[in-house]
Amino acid sequence: MSAHAAPMRAKFWSPGVLVLAILMAAGAAAVLARFIGGIGYVSNLSTARPWGIWIGVDVASGVALAAGGFTTAFLAHILGRHYYEPVARPALLTAMLGYTFVVLGLIVDIGRSWAIWKPMVYWNFHSVLFEVAMCVMFYLNVLYIEFIPIVVERFKGRVNLPGLLSALNGVAETLLSLADTLLSKLMWLFIIAGVVLSCMHQSSLGSLMLIAPTKVHPLWYTPILPLLFLTSAVAVGYPMVVFETTLATTSLKLDPEMQVLSPLTRITIFLLGSYLALKIGDMVIRGTYVYLLDGTAQTNSFLVEMIFGVIVPWVLLLSPAVRRSRRWLFTACTLIVGGVLLNRVNVFVVGYRPPVSENYYFPSITEILITVGFIAGLMFLYRFLVTYLPVLNRPGQEVSA
Amino acid sequence: MTKRLSLAIALLTAIAAIGGLIGFQGGVPSPSEAVAAAEGAEKIPAPPQTSATPWTAPDQEAAKKRAQEFVPFVEAVMEECDLCRQMRLRETGLGIKDITNSYFLLDSPIIKKTEDLYGPVRFKHSKHASQLKDCALCHHRRPLDAKAKETTRCSACHQEAFRSDQPERLGLKAAFHQQCTGCHQEMQKGPTDCLGCHRKNVPDHKELVKLPEKPEPTQVTQECLRCHKAAGEDMLKTAHWLWKGPSPYTLNRSKHVEHGKATSAVNNF
Amino acid sequence: MQLSRRGFFKVAGAAGAGVAASTRPAEAWQSRAPADPQGCLVDLTRCIGCRKCEQGCQTVNRLPAPEQPFDDLTVLDKKRRPDERTYTVINRYYPGRRDERDQLVPTFVKVQCMHCQDPACASACIVGALTKKENGAVHYDVTKCIGCRYCMVACPFEIPAYEYRDPITPRVMKCTFCYERVEKEGKRPGCAEICPVEAITFGRRSTLLKIARNRIKSNPASYVDRVYGEHEAGGTSWLYLSGVPFDRVGFIDVPHRPLTQLAESIQSSLFSYMWSPIVLFGMLSGVMWAFRNKGDRDTREKGGQP
Repeated sequence: MSAHAAPMRAKFWSPGVLVLAILMAAGAAAVLARFIGGIGYVSNLSTARPWGIWIGVDVASGVALAAGGFTTAFLAHILGRHYYEPVARPALLTAMLGYTFVVLGLIVDIGRSWAIWKPMVYWNFHSVLFEVAMCVMFYLNVLYIEFIPIVVERFKGRVNLPGLLSALNGVAETLLSLADTLLSKLMWLFIIAGVVLSCMHQSSLGSLMLIAPTKVHPLWYTPILPLLFLTSAVAVGYPMVVFETTLATTSLKLDPEMQVLSPLTRITIFLLGSYLALKIGDMVIRGTYVYLLDGTAQTNSFLVEMIFGVIVPWVLLLSPAVRRSRRWLFTACTLIVGGVLLNRVNVFVVGYRPPVSENYYFPSITEILITVGFIAGLMFLYRFLVTYLPVLNRPGQEVSA
Repeated sequence: MTKRLSLAIALLTAIAAIGGLIGFQGGVPSPSEAVAAAEGAEKIPAPPQTSATPWTAPDQEAAKKRAQEFVPFVEAVMEECDLCRQMRLRETGLGIKDITNSYFLLDSPIIKKTEDLYGPVRFKHSKHASQLKDCALCHHRRPLDAKAKETTRCSACHQEAFRSDQPERLGLKAAFHQQCTGCHQEMQKGPTDCLGCHRKNVPDHKELVKLPEKPEPTQVTQECLRCHKAAGEDMLKTAHWLWKGPSPYTLNRSKHVEHGKATSAVNNF
Repeated sequence: MQLSRRGFFKVAGAAGAGVAASTRPAEAWQSRAPADPQGCLVDLTRCIGCRKCEQGCQTVNRLPAPEQPFDDLTVLDKKRRPDERTYTVINRYYPGRRDERDQLVPTFVKVQCMHCQDPACASACIVGALTKKENGAVHYDVTKCIGCRYCMVACPFEIPAYEYRDPITPRVMKCTFCYERVEKEGKRPGCAEICPVEAITFGRRSTLLKIARNRIKSNPASYVDRVYGEHEAGGTSWLYLSGVPFDRVGFIDVPHRPLTQLAESIQSSLFSYMWSPIVLFGMLSGVMWAFRNKGDRDTREKGGQP
């Protein structure tokens, strides 16, 4: 457990948080409209285009960008590189919130939101989506469990519920110490389970589209799609940590943690390089480079994804000067994060071309509002939790549990 | 003067013709009778059974009965080429003279079992035979059984569709349709659309129409339009609705400037 | 650090290898197609475009009434697709053939669920709400459905439609092959029964294939030598015969192997008996154990490159 993590004492309602709150309110209104008028009322989804940005961004990208959680957990807890613990906690928080919002996004996207529990009863082992759903469900619980020590650390011995609830102070206190004792013994199980579950569903998320060979553009449709999804998720894990840590430390005026982030991205050179090699190798073997210059939206999107999302940041990261510079490191990592996000959007939305209808799809305003609202909600909660729980490192203040 | 007289005569003949068309029997009706009849027909489209003087052609009753008959299913048919069959029939000397029934109603309980969308087709057997002069065109196969008649009716071989023991044999309904429309198209003669051969079975409007005791004319129109929206829209594009101008050929009204239903004509609502 | 990084790569490599190994076409994949299902053979040379099948379908399945009545053939001026109110539609194509009066000859195409032998939708369905029945029907059980619409993503023919306008209880809508009617009441599908010219022949799929081959053989000038649905997507219960090349009348090319094969092979080779998660779990436990005392708490003091 890091001795440095502490609640932020910063004022919560900053202008940025206000903007987030406004975006959340707009998103909430759109969600309300979806539950009054139906999915068709707020979205441009159709028979030909059953999945839009809610799946492409909220779910697929949400899962991919939450990969920081399991990659840092692997590094800090399984390999015992405790040096990286300062970023493990925020990464865990991001993953927890990311998956929470994946589930919230699904609740909006699936037609019968109230039936979301049914996969637990009706099992279809042939369904890739079933496996993804089970993994996401278990992993979300694992993440919550992994997060408990942070809550324990903050409240153990300090439970002070207001008003009538104060009667429960004793009970809560007992629960917290029980969790503390149990989890300190069992945490290794959950940490490993988290990595296993992540590997399973990060790859399976790619297998999802294998069933639609006629619909997904050949630039993305490949039998190794699951492998590409796994490697890209692993590759984006640390850049995502850099991205969010830099944002958080800048916004809260904290120590930029460069001494942790710089070495992290050295690993990324290898991980992203492997992903790039797989991508290019796959393209060469399947001969899909013939599409590269045909000028369609798909091709252009692929080029942007590969050049600005993978190649440029990879080349940037090769330079030690870039890795040492806070600004440049953030730029490179943002590019990687954007590249993986674009990859997921490409696979699920841009590259999805129904051959019969050739239906054109662009998300409606309300569809975008819901997605933006969720992202704002995630950032809002992140801000809220780091304000009141010991997640981020606070310089010059030793608040140990 | 002579012009006006000839006009009147033309009009009378026209009205008489309309009267005849709607089934008026017995002599040439006087113009007033014809008009009354036409009006009556407009109000109640009375089917022949319920009219005051029920009359049906004697061969109609016989045809109806024949259409209800069930013929034992012919399992096996003689396989021969169309030309062989034609030649053989010609050699046997079968022809128009052998026709026993000149009129058929193409209808069967076999068809009615699955649907009842259209009324039976009135089929002039002898007329088709005399024009085609080739029995083999329709009687394209014969039962394998040597004792069977050379030409047998359609429903002997074609009965229910999709029999598992005879998967390639057409059902009666499809046999009728393929034979009739196929030939009509090929010969470019005879109707090829649904209503050209049979009347649609209109659902009983007594149940469907909902009107108050003494309805206003507008209420009646609105009730019609409730279901027949397209018909109403079509009406707005017809000459009946749009027509404007004098009517020089209408008796006693040649000097009036009359307008279509859209403006001032009678029964305009 | 060298050691730990190598350990990391080992694990990552093993996970990758597991996925990579699975991309080999697994011999283990087994079709779950029923042995002798029922089906329908649509003969496009017979279809006259009267839309009676649409009417029969609407009546039998108690679907909402159409905007334009079924005898209004002007709707054929536009290409339509089955939607959440219509299980089947007829489209008119002019593939370019002319008759002796130099008029373009239309070809009418009935569109509905093909009822694949190995349906991608049923394999995809997260809860198994879609199932391939013994009699050939791909059946939808609304009580299981959660509305994820993965079936719609999976369907190569873009058939399942969705009641997007229903906020709480939307359904996936697609041709049912009149499952209850055929299976429980022993009747024919509504469209096949009402078709005036038997453009739709109902029967066992094996029989229908024979009939189709026969029709092509006995009338080679009228048909293209192909039965659409014989091999498409691994075979479908609905089959089509045409007088003009299929691609000219709106049929798309679909792979001949079942679409379910690749994803199911990967899934089963990776996750049968949960072997790969268990192996990964074991490996990670081993790594964690091995590294339990080799932490680098002190590297922080070194500050800089680890």
